[in-house]
Amino acid sequence: MKIIKLAWSYLRIGIANELQYRVNFFIQLLQSFIALGTGLIGLWLVFTQTTQLGGWSQPELLAVMGIYMVMGGVIQSAIQPNMQRLMDEIQDGSLDFALTKPVDGQILVSIREFRFWQLTDVVVGLVVLVIAVVQLQEKIGVWQALAFMVALLLGGIMIYSFWLMLTTTAFWLIRIWELVNLFQGLYAAGRWPVTIYPQWLRLGLTFIVPVAFAVTVPAEALTNRLTPLTLLGAFGLAILLMLLARFVWRLGVRSYSGASA
Amino acid sequence: MPNPAITVNLLSKHYKVPVREAGLKAATKSLFRRKYNSVKAVDNISFTIQPGEVVGFLGPNGAGKTTTLKMLSGLLFPTSGIPDVLGFQPSRRQADFLRQITLVMGNRSQMSWDLPALDSFELQRAIYGVPSPDFLRTRDEFIELLDVKELVKKPVRNLSLGERMKMEIIVALLHRPKVLFLDEPTIGLDVTMQRRIRQFVEEYNRRYGATVLLTSHYMADVEALCKRVIVIHNGKLLFDGDLSTLVDRFSAFKTIGVTLANGFGSFSQYGEVLNQEAGHVTLRIPREKTPEVTARILAEQQVDDLTVEDPPIEDVIEKVFAQKSAEV
Repeated sequence: MKIIKLAWSYLRIGIANELQYRVNFFIQLLQSFIALGTGLIGLWLVFTQTTQLGGWSQPELLAVMGIYMVMGGVIQSAIQPNMQRLMDEIQDGSLDFALTKPVDGQILVSIREFRFWQLTDVVVGLVVLVIAVVQLQEKIGVWQALAFMVALLLGGIMIYSFWLMLTTTAFWLIRIWELVNLFQGLYAAGRWPVTIYPQWLRLGLTFIVPVAFAVTVPAEALTNRLTPLTLLGAFGLAILLMLLARFVWRLGVRSYSGASA
Repeated sequence: MPNPAITVNLLSKHYKVPVREAGLKAATKSLFRRKYNSVKAVDNISFTIQPGEVVGFLGPNGAGKTTTLKMLSGLLFPTSGIPDVLGFQPSRRQADFLRQITLVMGNRSQMSWDLPALDSFELQRAIYGVPSPDFLRTRDEFIELLDVKELVKKPVRNLSLGERMKMEIIVALLHRPKVLFLDEPTIGLDVTMQRRIRQFVEEYNRRYGATVLLTSHYMADVEALCKRVIVIHNGKLLFDGDLSTLVDRFSAFKTIGVTLANGFGSFSQYGEVLNQEAGHVTLRIPREKTPEVTARILAEQQVDDLTVEDPPIEDVIEKVFAQKSAEV
């Protein structure tokens, strides 16, 4: 309860602060539309050649793109800024302040930053998603919608856990700026359903960088492809990654404080 | 007698640091096989601090002050010796412990630079779960004491170093901690600002009976705030006691200033003449000979005025370290 209140305080103050910078909103909006434009051109190029891509029709791929944008917006607004701040603080030592607070350290470092204007990606992505669903001309049942939401949530948890583990390596490596670019490059692969990639890459995008679960699996839920087994797998992997991230975080803090030295 | 606020018994912290020689070849070699040196940052130090005490923690750079403060605030795990702070073992980082302490580091900031200080204060309230009425009372009391009513509304980015430091102090004390670890809280500040921060710490200590452990390179801070000082050097404890005792023990000399009625006179027979000009002479006299020399000067010279002073505390401290370095 206290944590929710605290997260809300950060969110409220973060938003209030960012609302002062309206220019950022327009820049962000422009960026969202450029991303949308390049995405649409990509789709259009593919469908001038073929009517299907790895078994996915045009509106289905549009749905994938919508989810990709929504998830990307969530990452950019809520996950990445926190991880970047964590990286900075490990580097300059001001993480000491976070670690001397009477709140769980992992939770605290995960809720401090929020980039409100990045949510334009989420809004644009949702619009794309709605258009795609209308084009699909299929009825989306309650269970399907529910499975979609659950898959999206699990995907978010996995991406967060993955990012946290990546960032936590800064405790040992100190300088890991390149990792941000690496992640963004890999995430860009999620623009397409991972099923179209060769198997080795598909496995990598599923289990090493959980892009498949963040984008493709929710899309499968919307397009009647999702098997209960996949959803169960997503659930299992989300829990596993969460526990693993927790473990790595603890290890990082221990090495930071020299408990093992 | 109440339980001590802080008990440290044979506390040590050793670091393993990789060593390599300069140059590309050595760098390549160290990629595969690293050599480590063990550095004793803190080496078997012991002391106790009573509740409400303000203690100055002195030592040159790299003496182990910050390492000790970090062990006491639970950030570092000691190599040996378990400190006790308010009945807790700091490295366990229990919430009940962390709620009662605070850490201020003069060279690091815990404020969000884009936010006005008021917002950071509110976040601090949420982190510590301080009830709103208490929080507002404390906050306004501090704002008043430091005279920053207008500044708290500006983004921290736009404040001067000194102004920002005031905010850092406020944000660090909003939850009214019982134990304060202040690591160079006045570093880089001008004299006026140093004094304001100092007075604030003094006032906080007086009002709430908080225990303060302070490191500073500004002796004025220490002289104004701390009756007691702990001196460490190369991780070892050199001195623990009253500031005046430190001066007595480590300054072998006193300075005698003489203003002459007739403007002239020979003084080299009394001791080392540091300065002689326009009817004023400054002499350096071994401590134990001071009464005798003073009497002689008064008897033999035509004196208008005579002062006997301890050397500046900086000089004393410097001497302590120089002496100990030579021994080690």
